[in-house]
Amino acid sequence: MLAHDQNVHNSPIEYPVKSFFIEFAHLSGSTMPTVQFGHHQVHYELTGEPGRPVITFLNGLTQNANLWKSYADYFVPRGYRVLAYDMLGQGRSSKPVIDIKLAMHADMLDDLLEQLDIEKTHLASISFGGIIALDFAIRHGHRLHSLTAMSTFAELTPQLDLLGAVMLQGLAEVGLPYLQSMLYPMNMSSAWIAANRERIPAMKRAGYIGNDGYAMQNLMESFVEFQPLTPDLHKIKVPTLIMNGEFDFFTPRECHEVIRSKVRNSRLLIIQRAYHAFTLEMPAVTMRQLEVFLDQVTAGTWQGDQSVWIAADDPTAETQWLPCAGDWMRAVQPATVSPAANAPNRRKTPTRKKTP
Amino acid sequence: MIDPALFDQARDRIAVSGFTPEIQTKTTLFLCTAKNGNLMFHSSVQWMQNLNVVQQFILSQYSRELEAVTLLSRTAQWSTDPALAIEGTRIVAPLMMAWGQIMLPPGPLLNPQAAYRGISLGHAQLARIRMAPVIPDNADPLDPFVVALQRIEQENGRMLQTQIRLLKNIGTEIPLEEREALVEQDQQLVDGVFSEFLTWLATP
Repeated sequence: MLAHDQNVHNSPIEYPVKSFFIEFAHLSGSTMPTVQFGHHQVHYELTGEPGRPVITFLNGLTQNANLWKSYADYFVPRGYRVLAYDMLGQGRSSKPVIDIKLAMHADMLDDLLEQLDIEKTHLASISFGGIIALDFAIRHGHRLHSLTAMSTFAELTPQLDLLGAVMLQGLAEVGLPYLQSMLYPMNMSSAWIAANRERIPAMKRAGYIGNDGYAMQNLMESFVEFQPLTPDLHKIKVPTLIMNGEFDFFTPRECHEVIRSKVRNSRLLIIQRAYHAFTLEMPAVTMRQLEVFLDQVTAGTWQGDQSVWIAADDPTAETQWLPCAGDWMRAVQPATVSPAANAPNRRKTPTRKKTP
Repeated sequence: MIDPALFDQARDRIAVSGFTPEIQTKTTLFLCTAKNGNLMFHSSVQWMQNLNVVQQFILSQYSRELEAVTLLSRTAQWSTDPALAIEGTRIVAPLMMAWGQIMLPPGPLLNPQAAYRGISLGHAQLARIRMAPVIPDNADPLDPFVVALQRIEQENGRMLQTQIRLLKNIGTEIPLEEREALVEQDQQLVDGVFSEFLTWLATP
């Protein structure tokens, strides 16, 4: 019953922020698992048999847990459990209006794992979720087998700072449809947009129904107090795979280079011809790279040496990670024109390792 | 939350029947009731002391809500079926009751908690009541009623900023957690009413 309680202002309300209570809430005509976080509900999807190693996926800003379903379909038959959930402000979880501290998301994940009896997990994350994952790895690293940070950043570069401000301004002054329209070309390639142009209006409509502009605005405004994670990145000790699209101009290479340079147990993997949202645009390639990484971690063959690699285009190729020659920070590789001009490389090129 | 299927069902029905007088009447009755509640609240608090710059936003929202009600009422092709008014009143009753509680003496002008509740309920209405997804692709984009719905939706998104800023920043003794719980409660109230409205809209 949705009747209003006139005395709500005077009601003593308890907020056990650090404790979760699993329940199965009956919402929207379907039973879906939720946990309680304070007075907020958090929706999650957990698939796969108990006792198996868990992969937890963290969404980007406008995403929801459903978008990882194909990943669950891929990894569950390969012996994993897959956990995806809507962060506060997303999908079917509660959408606070007033305040969400950025740090709250990592703390919430910690409690979610606690409540689900998941002692340790592999954590894979993209974009906004990547920041949460880095924060989690810094403060709750003992819960991780490994970390995968995709299309993300540890600090707001001047470019990202302005981009974020423009996105927030567009959301506040024009509205959610504007932000949706802006994000398609920011996230996806021309090829994808051309192939899906007819479907985009329906996708935008579904996104408009499923998202709430104010909740997204609240998430974005939580960056007002955001402190760079860079000074604490050295605290990340678990195997860390950093994945960056070759053509990601939203969170370009420099964002990932910061993470690679500070996390000793890491490697940077560049996804060829990929843009920001390659988990959606190139799921087969992404899943394969993730699988290669997790196999190495599980087998104990992972070498976190801060080297840089390029992912194979073909997920069925025998060799999946190709060494990166030249300066991975550049979009072009100038040819040497004369011996005199053959100056030493500005950066140390990665040592050739045995390819996985 | 609102089941996405409810939007689809309402849209699909309108795609078949078009924006008939019955559909326009249902929509107008519902939206005008919600907006009249917010309008009544804003007319009450717009001369509150010490609002400073906020007063401009409240006066502006009052005017735009009034404009929306006028726009809808003037563009709607009204049905003469009195049963629609009776059923419409039943569906929106929880909203009318909530606004009525907010306006109880001494009223939000003199009752800070009622004022906060009014902002919270206004936020829920502007944020959660969305008509754009029920407009089918085959609707005439120049149809006056369709134009009115689109413009009202856009304005809702902009007006919402007033509520967002007030909910975040207004000086109040209500603890943060309690304020969040209050906002969530109002969202559930509006979601429930709007869900029932969408079901009604989809029903011939």
